[in-house]
Amino acid sequence: MATAAARSFGLTAAHRRIGGKLLGAVLSLAFVLVFNFFLFRVLPGDPAKNLTRNRLVPAEQVEAVRESFGLGKPLPQQFAAYVRDTLSGDLGISYKYRRPVSDVIAERIGPTVLLVGLSTILSIIIGLYIGIRGAWGRGSVFDRMSLGASLALYAMPEFWLGILLLIAFGVGVGPLPGLFPTGGMSTPGTDMSSLAGVLDVAMHLFLPCLTLTLAYLAEYALVMRSSLLDELGEDYLVTARAKGLRDALVLRRHAVPNALLPTTTLIFLNLGFVVSGAITIETVFSWPGLGLLSYEALSTPDYPLLQGVFLLFSAAVIVANVLADLLYSYLDPRVRTG
Amino acid sequence: MVGTGKASRNRKARRLEAAALTLAVIAALAAAPVAGAQEQPAQKLTFTVGITTDIDSLNPFIGIVAESYEVYQVMYDYLVGYSQKDFSPVPELAESWTVSQDGLTWTFKIRQGAKWSDGQPVTARDAAYTFNRIMKGTFEQTNYPYTDNLKSVTATDDTTLVMVAKKPSPTMLRMAIPILPEHIWKDISAKEVETFENDKNAVGSGPFILEERKTGQFVRLRANKSYWAGAPKIDELVFRPFNNADALLQALKKGEIDFADDLDPAPFNSLKNTPGITAVAADYPGFNELAFNTGAALDTGEPIGDGHPALKDKRLRQAIAHAVDRQALVDRVLQGYGSPATGVIPALYKDLHFAPGDGQGFDFNLGTANQLLDQAGYRDTNGDNVREMPNGGRPLRFRLFARQESGESQQSAQFIKGWLRDIGIAVDVRVVEANRLTEIIGQGEFDMFEWGWVVEPDPNYQLSTFTCGSRSYKSGGTITANLSDSFYCNPAYDKLYEQQAVTIDPARRAQIVKDMQRMLYEDAPYVMTYYYDDLQAYRSDRLAGFVPQPDPGGVLLFQYGTYSYRNIGSPSQLAAADDGGSSALPLVLIGAVVVLAAAGALLVVRRRAATQDERE
Repeated sequence: MATAAARSFGLTAAHRRIGGKLLGAVLSLAFVLVFNFFLFRVLPGDPAKNLTRNRLVPAEQVEAVRESFGLGKPLPQQFAAYVRDTLSGDLGISYKYRRPVSDVIAERIGPTVLLVGLSTILSIIIGLYIGIRGAWGRGSVFDRMSLGASLALYAMPEFWLGILLLIAFGVGVGPLPGLFPTGGMSTPGTDMSSLAGVLDVAMHLFLPCLTLTLAYLAEYALVMRSSLLDELGEDYLVTARAKGLRDALVLRRHAVPNALLPTTTLIFLNLGFVVSGAITIETVFSWPGLGLLSYEALSTPDYPLLQGVFLLFSAAVIVANVLADLLYSYLDPRVRTG
Repeated sequence: MVGTGKASRNRKARRLEAAALTLAVIAALAAAPVAGAQEQPAQKLTFTVGITTDIDSLNPFIGIVAESYEVYQVMYDYLVGYSQKDFSPVPELAESWTVSQDGLTWTFKIRQGAKWSDGQPVTARDAAYTFNRIMKGTFEQTNYPYTDNLKSVTATDDTTLVMVAKKPSPTMLRMAIPILPEHIWKDISAKEVETFENDKNAVGSGPFILEERKTGQFVRLRANKSYWAGAPKIDELVFRPFNNADALLQALKKGEIDFADDLDPAPFNSLKNTPGITAVAADYPGFNELAFNTGAALDTGEPIGDGHPALKDKRLRQAIAHAVDRQALVDRVLQGYGSPATGVIPALYKDLHFAPGDGQGFDFNLGTANQLLDQAGYRDTNGDNVREMPNGGRPLRFRLFARQESGESQQSAQFIKGWLRDIGIAVDVRVVEANRLTEIIGQGEFDMFEWGWVVEPDPNYQLSTFTCGSRSYKSGGTITANLSDSFYCNPAYDKLYEQQAVTIDPARRAQIVKDMQRMLYEDAPYVMTYYYDDLQAYRSDRLAGFVPQPDPGGVLLFQYGTYSYRNIGSPSQLAAADDGGSSALPLVLIGAVVVLAAAGALLVVRRRAATQDERE
């Protein structure tokens, strides 16, 4: 009786907790929606005027442009239309490209996820490996070298690293030939559905992906190393060893799972940023992704496009956070009960 | 112990195997483009232009950036073109034209033999359709505001186009409107045209035909082998955007692109000594100026803004004109790539350009400037080294706005601040975004700013920016910027403006245009600072035959016309063959060596792992 009651109570608590998290996420999204609208209305620059800049456009034409974007209406009316359209999935028409915002974004999301997603996964794998090995063999040559390299990479500005790699491997230095393209995502005229097309994209992907992987992995390596070091002094590891477990097993079964928690948080937070791209690296390598798109949108300024990408970025971060919360409670029972 | 030892050895073997695999993958990647290049016919000559702003739309009614207009130019023809030598009107789709005695009826003879890329003939009806679509369309007019003066445009037969103007106008031959195929565009409604992308199977009559567009990546066009003015010598034309000037420069050095323009002086100088690259500092029709708030007001005359009242005084502005060392700005800001400016129509438009005679201009002389200010009654009465106005004593402290996006703008502002300090004028330099500055100027909330214009071959537009009617206007309670940024308003100038707009005779019009520039020079709403060069560079080892506009000294690309695109080819058949071999061969060799090495390493690793397993 008593156990059954406790169990059902636990279930509802978990439900309530998950419900709370989801409700919080929805509220955050709603806030972002409202904030987005007003934020971009206080930016300097009149889009209708910017779009007709430096051309002999009569005042009536500018008015017509403004009218066609709904900019002539009072603010509350613009806001109502914005909320209504966004909820029905219509993000508006981009001022600059004159195409639906959802289309413009959809076109750029693939390249960004490919570049940033792949770099994130690679940097997680390599970073965790370096962190674990470094902590396990603390003070070893590998540890000292990897720690130094990680700190250097962590401190290095991404774009600078990107330009260095571009010059070294894109253009070539001394006897080293420029093996990789200096920018873009594909060679004009290559058939994208063929094997040559896939390889062509891989070639273009290599340098930006290498740059981002190097830039990201330091963070994982450092966090993993320090959280594993924290665990190494714990009594349960002594116990594990006393049971006669081999070193590798102690590391894999006991130390790493416990040390992974802070890293998990970091991973999920960063996964949320995968869609928002990497503005600086996309710029250095002219990679046609969302980071670059948002930069271009900002300089017009293209309100609907900006609102669209910011909504997407915010939503991605919020969703990743909810996932991290849920997964965290699965990984660490203390979160569930506490 | 033994167990651990084996594990670690195996791990080492596995790591070597992984390294070998990575090497193999890299080698395969490196070899890939070579394989791709070999599949294509060896003779195919592609010309790749690196651009710094992506093409925003291939629909000529939507695009705004200059790069898009460059693409429209190669895809479509105009009725009348601009000569390569001096921009004078030359036949394009219209092979000849006549104008009636009263200057109102223009009859164009459309050339026979021009074809759309889908095989249909280009006729006068297509031209009439395009003009009428613009005249009747609100949206269509935003990009082509040339049709205000047109009463009607009709095709009387397939080769005759008749335009009736409201007033006689010299700009009748200056309407840069791409002629579109009626049989395609008639199906695109007034609503649809606002979002029509025109990026698939676009039909044009220009020297190049659109092949493929990837937003943010490239626009690829193929040569129109049956172009009426002769087939281009190159086979393909690619525009490739770079978002980073360094990457653009590296791509040119490596040969990924063949042409770059708008380069900064430092990289440009480095390219001058690079083998295989020719760097050209080309005359460009742009100028920069120090502009004054000469008394901000709406087009109705109602004053706006908070400009310093002293700047309404022509004598003060003239004194400042004497205190700006234009040659120093050219030497130090442009690093020599430009020339001191005089009239608002740049020097490369020889027939229209105004320059004062020797000793009659505002020569740089701080003594003269100080003297003029003393004479006008601006004196420093309280000993703080800043002069005050004669009545009321408001000190001459001016805000000078520079653009955040432009290092040159900020440098110029600092130089100017220094010179003005020497004549007792205090300057507060403020750096803002160009977008924000447009707003500030439109509201009249400035004293001075540094900016510039790019001037079209026809002077009408540039001259219009100084008319009273171009000042800001009020719509629905808010003040909106128009073209005027100095708020200059002079009825005598406006009268000349109206006059030049209806003067068809080029020589008489040129005289009026020069008189207007003299008026502007003397009234000094702007202190003209410099005309700047466009720093361009191209792979002369791959391509030859670029032609400048104007000739000599002008730009090689981004011209008014498609001259270079149609004229360039490989320096010689032999050189082209050599080049193809030399660039591909090392890559193939390196690829092969790396593949072999990787395969070898893989084999050794496997073998070693196997023997280890056997041993244990």
